[in-house]
Amino acid sequence: MNRGDGETDRRRRFGDLCESLRPDLLRFAWWLGRDRGLAEDVVQESMLRAWKSFGALADERKAKAWLLTIVRREFARSFEKKRLELSDVDALVAAESAVLAAPEDERVGQMREEIFRLDADYREPLVLQVLMGYSTQEIADMMGMQQGAVLTRLFRARARLRQQLGLAPEHEA
Amino acid sequence: MMTCLEFRRRVGAEPFAADAAIEAHRLECAPCARHQDELRAMDGLIQRALEVNPPPRESAAAPAPPRAWRPRLFALAASLVVGVAVAVVVIVVAPRAAIAREVVSHVQHEPGSLAATQPLPPGALHEVLGPDGLRLRRGAGDVTYAMRCPFDGRIVPHLVVQRPEGPVTVLILSHRSIAKPIRFEQQGFAGVVLPAPRGSIAVVGQDVADLDAVAQQVIDAVDWGK
Repeated sequence: MNRGDGETDRRRRFGDLCESLRPDLLRFAWWLGRDRGLAEDVVQESMLRAWKSFGALADERKAKAWLLTIVRREFARSFEKKRLELSDVDALVAAESAVLAAPEDERVGQMREEIFRLDADYREPLVLQVLMGYSTQEIADMMGMQQGAVLTRLFRARARLRQQLGLAPEHEA
Repeated sequence: MMTCLEFRRRVGAEPFAADAAIEAHRLECAPCARHQDELRAMDGLIQRALEVNPPPRESAAAPAPPRAWRPRLFALAASLVVGVAVAVVVIVVAPRAAIAREVVSHVQHEPGSLAATQPLPPGALHEVLGPDGLRLRRGAGDVTYAMRCPFDGRIVPHLVVQRPEGPVTVLILSHRSIAKPIRFEQQGFAGVVLPAPRGSIAVVGQDVADLDAVAQQVIDAVDWGK
C-alpha cells in the first residue's frame, strides 16, 4: 500500500467512526450543554481535533471513549470561552422544549425534564453510565475522579430524580 | 454481611449491581429487594429519557409558545420584534456564519492542498467522488488535489481546481442543503456556498475574481448522478 492509499484508508476509517458515533456524541454534548447550537459546535470542533490526533488512537475499539473525552474537553473550552450563564434553567427548558418533548409517553417527558434540571455534576456521570454504558471505574477515568466520588454522584442523581418525580418516601428524600 | 444502608447506597449508584453480597442481601431483605427493583425500573425510564435526538440547528426554529403573562399590546408587539430578531439570528445568521467558518477552517487545516500543481489522474478523482456517486466532467479545470475529508461530522469530497483566475478549493456538501447562496470573506479567503442539485457546494479562493461564476461552472461540471 503506498502513502496515498494509506492516507485514503485512514480518512475512510475516521469517516466511518464519525458517521457511526456522531449521534451519540451529539446527544452527549447536548446533555452536557443543554443547547443544540452549542452541542453541534462542540462536536464539530471535537471532530477536527480528533482528526488531528487520530494517529494517537492505538485501539479503534476505544474510539468512542476517546471521542467522548475530546467532547468533554471541548465543551469545557467552549464553556469557558463563551462564559455561558446557565443559571436560568426555566429559560433553558423553554428553549429546548422541542428536544425535551416526549409525546409518546408523558413519564419519559417528565423524566427528561428532571434530568435536564439536574446539576451538571450529577447529570454527566448519569449520562455516561445509563446512556453510554460505562462502568463507574471507566467514568472515573474519563472524568479524572475517584470511583467513590462517581458512585456518590450517581447515588445522589437517582435520589434527586426519585424525589422530584415523587417516587421516594419522605424519609428517603 | 451488608447492611440495608450499604445495600441502598450501592444500588442507588449501580441499580444493576448483582454480586454475591447484593444477592445475599436481596434474599434476606424484601424491602431492599423491592427498592432495587424500583431503581432498575426507573433506570429503564432514565435510559428512554436520555435517548434524545437533538434536531440540527437549522430546524431549531420552532417558535417558543406565547407568554400569557404579557397581555398588553405593547408587550406583544415588543415580543414579536424580539422574536423576529431572534429568529433571524437563529435561522439565517447563525447557520450562515457557521458554514462559512467551517469551510474556511477546513481550508486552513490543509494548507498543503493548495501547493499541489500536477493534475491528478482520473482514477484518483474517481476514488474521491465515486463513493458519493459523483463524477467531474471536463470544463471545471485541472484537479490538483482530491481527498475525502471530515467535515461537519461527515466525509465529503475536497478538491482543488486550477482555474485561470487562480486555484479554488471545492467542498461538495451533498448532505447540507441551503435555500440560497451564502457569500463570505474570512481571514483572507473569499467564498461562496451555492445550492446544488444535491445539497450544496462550497468554493473558496484567494483573490479570485467573480467567484460566483467559477462556482457555477464547477457545479455545471459535476455529474450529480441520480
